[in-house]
Amino acid sequence: MSLAKSLSDALQRKPVCHCLEKVVDDRGRDPSGGWLTRISGGRPAVLYSAGVGRRPPRRGSPLHLPTFDYRRPQSLAQALGWLAEFGPRAAVLAGGTDLLIALRQRLLRPELLVGIGALAELQGVQPCADGALRLGAGTPLTTLVEDPLLRVRLPALAAALQSVGSRHVRNVATLGGNLNLPTRCWYVNQGEAWRQARPPCLKTGGDVCHVIRSARECFALQSSDGAVALLALGARLELARAAAVREVALDDFYRNDGLAPTTLDAGELVTAVYVPVTPLRSTFLKIAPRTGLDYGLGTVAAAVAGSNRRVTAARIVLGSIGSWPVRLRGAERIVAEGGLEPATIEAAAEAARADLGELTNLYSTAGDKRRLARVLVRRALAALRRQPEAQAA
Amino acid sequence: MVRKADLAVVGRDTPRLDGVAKLTGRAAFTDDVRLPGMLHGKIVRSHLPRARIVHIDTSAAARLPGVKAIVTRADAPHLFIGMHQPLFDATVGYIGQEVAAVAALDEATAAEAAALIRVEYEPLPAITDFEAALAEGATPLHPKAPGNIAWEQAELHGDPERAFAESVHVREDVYYTNPSHNCYAEFHVAVADFTGGRKLTVWTPSQTALLYQKALAAGFGLSDGQVRLMTLNTGGGFTGRSVVRPHHFIAALLSRKAARPVRIRAIADEEFLMCRAGGRSRYRFRSGLGRDGRLKVVEADLVFDSGAYVETQMILTRLTHSYLHLLYRVEAVRYRGRLVCTNNLPYYFHHGGGLAQMQFGWGQHVDALARDAGLDPVEFHLLNAVGKGHTTLSGSHFASCGLKECITKATRRAGWGRKYGRLPAYRGIGIGIGAMASGAKGVFRHDTSAAFIKIAEDGTMSLFTGLPDMGQSSHTAMAIIAAEVLGAQPADITVVSGDTDVDPLDVGAFTQRGTFNTGNAVIAAAGDARAQLARVAAERFGVKPAAVVFRDRQVFPKGEPGRAIALRQLVHDTLHSREGRFVMGRGFYNSPKDSGTMAYSFGAQVAEVTVDPETGFVTVERIVAAHDVGRAINPKIVEGQIDGQVFSGMSQALYEELLMEDGQMLNPSRLDYRLPRAFEMPAVEHIIVETNDPYGPFGAKEVGEGPIVCTMQAIANAVANAIGVPVQEMPLTPARVLRALAGRGEVSARTPPAPLRGRRLR
Repeated sequence: MSLAKSLSDALQRKPVCHCLEKVVDDRGRDPSGGWLTRISGGRPAVLYSAGVGRRPPRRGSPLHLPTFDYRRPQSLAQALGWLAEFGPRAAVLAGGTDLLIALRQRLLRPELLVGIGALAELQGVQPCADGALRLGAGTPLTTLVEDPLLRVRLPALAAALQSVGSRHVRNVATLGGNLNLPTRCWYVNQGEAWRQARPPCLKTGGDVCHVIRSARECFALQSSDGAVALLALGARLELARAAAVREVALDDFYRNDGLAPTTLDAGELVTAVYVPVTPLRSTFLKIAPRTGLDYGLGTVAAAVAGSNRRVTAARIVLGSIGSWPVRLRGAERIVAEGGLEPATIEAAAEAARADLGELTNLYSTAGDKRRLARVLVRRALAALRRQPEAQAA
Repeated sequence: MVRKADLAVVGRDTPRLDGVAKLTGRAAFTDDVRLPGMLHGKIVRSHLPRARIVHIDTSAAARLPGVKAIVTRADAPHLFIGMHQPLFDATVGYIGQEVAAVAALDEATAAEAAALIRVEYEPLPAITDFEAALAEGATPLHPKAPGNIAWEQAELHGDPERAFAESVHVREDVYYTNPSHNCYAEFHVAVADFTGGRKLTVWTPSQTALLYQKALAAGFGLSDGQVRLMTLNTGGGFTGRSVVRPHHFIAALLSRKAARPVRIRAIADEEFLMCRAGGRSRYRFRSGLGRDGRLKVVEADLVFDSGAYVETQMILTRLTHSYLHLLYRVEAVRYRGRLVCTNNLPYYFHHGGGLAQMQFGWGQHVDALARDAGLDPVEFHLLNAVGKGHTTLSGSHFASCGLKECITKATRRAGWGRKYGRLPAYRGIGIGIGAMASGAKGVFRHDTSAAFIKIAEDGTMSLFTGLPDMGQSSHTAMAIIAAEVLGAQPADITVVSGDTDVDPLDVGAFTQRGTFNTGNAVIAAAGDARAQLARVAAERFGVKPAAVVFRDRQVFPKGEPGRAIALRQLVHDTLHSREGRFVMGRGFYNSPKDSGTMAYSFGAQVAEVTVDPETGFVTVERIVAAHDVGRAINPKIVEGQIDGQVFSGMSQALYEELLMEDGQMLNPSRLDYRLPRAFEMPAVEHIIVETNDPYGPFGAKEVGEGPIVCTMQAIANAVANAIGVPVQEMPLTPARVLRALAGRGEVSARTPPAPLRGRRLR
């Protein structure tokens, strides 16, 4: 097949998933003379470079991506094989909404991008035998937000995902991408030229932290909205690697460490999220300056089982406030013991401040974060209290 | 005096002539310019706030294939940008300052080469806080700025001491505004062709081709005519595009050296460096009230962080001085304005030209004064407001003035009387009033705009002006004006503009002079063309030329529309006459004053807000905007101008802040610099007040900056009304609102002021 023919074929395919791809011929040249936003179909890629790491990475400008090789697997197994082979030298390209910015800012310099957008194994919402929902990690957020089952059974998750980016972002961004959102810091998430004005920090290969100068740890913020909701809902993740699949509770996935925010191993991929649909009321709130296209100054998700008077289980999670989504166990205990009554809601909100531990002045002051946490918890619990208790059944 | 009933086109909604092209992406901008052999430039910038350049090593960059030219200080040792900033200085004064540049076959190669240029610096102590720069014993940052004061303006009118002594109440307040950025729809870009070094052609978005042309000519030692400035569509001006920037000079320098055209465009955070909007500023106001509640005396001490170089920021002090006492009749004024040197990037203007930002403080100060006097702010404004025929202490004269009408209409529509002091908790209402010059002589001895018009045989016309359309729809406005004079329709007219080799002279689209000055020039040019046609028509109809009426593409003797002939027939007959006359009109307008402004627009806006006392978030629920624009040439566009400025005013009042740390921006991106979106736009109700200015084209005055002057103060006053304490620093972020609330104590401005009409101060 001639190159021109395959290009025109590629451009005419029906959209199944959307991702940005560099179209290169088999000698690594770019015949299109630039970048194509290609709406690709479910077919295996016909265009990818065979050689890896031949050209030295170009510094380039923020408009230009560094050089890398791109492969589109025909199956999950093939993807996992490449991820195992390249380990930390590979990056996964799904929606690309965050990855491409990171590449332009030279925060990542992968040798290989593995484009998993078309893998059918990672798509869709399926009810499981035990009543749980299986959400494919490659499912675009718009698909999830508009899924009727999800909207009814998991309103907190639907609300959280709807608050991500803009409609355009959600059309391509995936659930797995949102859960693996890198931690952010305004000393790091800048162009390469900008970063040269400061010594490199822990995240960029140095040994200082610009947020807390005396610290030797990284306090970059975790802003995944999906993580907050899924933690409150008690979700589990399916993680796959070349030879094995494991399941891990979302509680054990995140770490309070800006440098290594998850326990995902190199070569491992989040393939699915299992959300139990136990009788639960759930809610999600995000406080952000802008309606859409904004990270939260603080987010909260809360879920309770039982009636207002007798809460049998409660999970409350705060996001965008520290380096991980914080389970507020003290506040949860108060609600579980005292129910969703005005006095316990107030006590839980007060306890939230203590649950948070050490906070930094990154993006907003520690005091503002603590105050906001209290407000968020109070509002989330009050919202749950107002939800019809019958919904739980 | 023009009667509205006599107008056929002016005052009716006309769709923008460029609307379809812009909506369908066919309108051309500078970034679309592609020239044969064009290279791409990239600038090397300082990453230190203050340092001496020891050595620049370009050898590695020069060896990179594809690199065609590299320029450093050695290539332009005497080239100055404006008056004070050398293009490449021996000492850098801010993070992002230009140090060298490279041109290559493509952008990626240029960027790669730029990264290969090694600059050795000797760091010097830097000051990035303007108050620290002013402190006793602070390191002097600039040889021409003793005490780090780059410019100081002091003004005195009347006898402030006596007026303060006679005042029964004196109040003093301090306000701050913070660095910001204009977030242009079109990023900064320049394409320069200086091949041969004899004629320099520059394509770039600009508000004023003339000033760019002169500055580039002066910099390169050329005559004005050797510089050709090409302005295609321009995506936003906001005064920031009235002065040439380093990247224009650098593109030209690279082009001369490489003997090929060179394009430089801002990429990512560079846009925030090339733009240079407002800096942090401090406004101290002290005012005295007479026994009758009248404002007697105003004192202002304003300090502006101007960054490392003062270019034309002294306009800030000139403007804030004259605007300080524009709205109220006062006896005495004392003013001091200072521009302070720091190691921040050279700040310039944000949308609102420094005036809207000053009014953020001044409007709140006046509101507080009114409350002190036991007066409703609206009563206070009406008691003290200027009117038609008033001349201010610094000589501004108002031949037309609808200020009181704007205040009355806006407050009535907003329901002020039943809302002020009576809204539920954390809901507030506030008013802001303002005025704005329609053009101001002072840049040159003239303030001239000129226009040509030619009429083709089919009756279609080409109107040539030097006024750029930067989104304000001025091309359509000029077409409307010409159409009104010649009895044509705006769609019959093609506006030609954007090439200094072709355009007649125009000082440009700033100081809100476009509609007023260029509009008057178009009236003159169209009038000249009409006189040529009227002579022929008069002969045909057997009447005097003055009795020939041009209307609706028809020409007829006054009072006899039954004898009408088509305008195109008249044009055809004029050409096919014995004389063979091709109709070309020409005209110009220059303000008859020695300096300053012929007309001011006035306005009042009422804002209603809700404050979330737990999070500190402010929501603007509604804005009622009443503006005296003299005459609305195109009412739909007037409303659009008001909407745009309400948006920008709200955005500056509540959202926009460039966070600076040690001279470095922490949020130089559209993601982190939180410009609001359409979702945040409040409902806006427009009230157009027409006072028919005697000097304006068909009575029109400006509407390009008058509305924004009112917005920030209205919102700030509404927030103070909602929470009971003022927030004296802009933007009113949730954190600042919460801090104000926390410090509120027992004071409350929410206590409804008793209806105190006529009450006297003790």
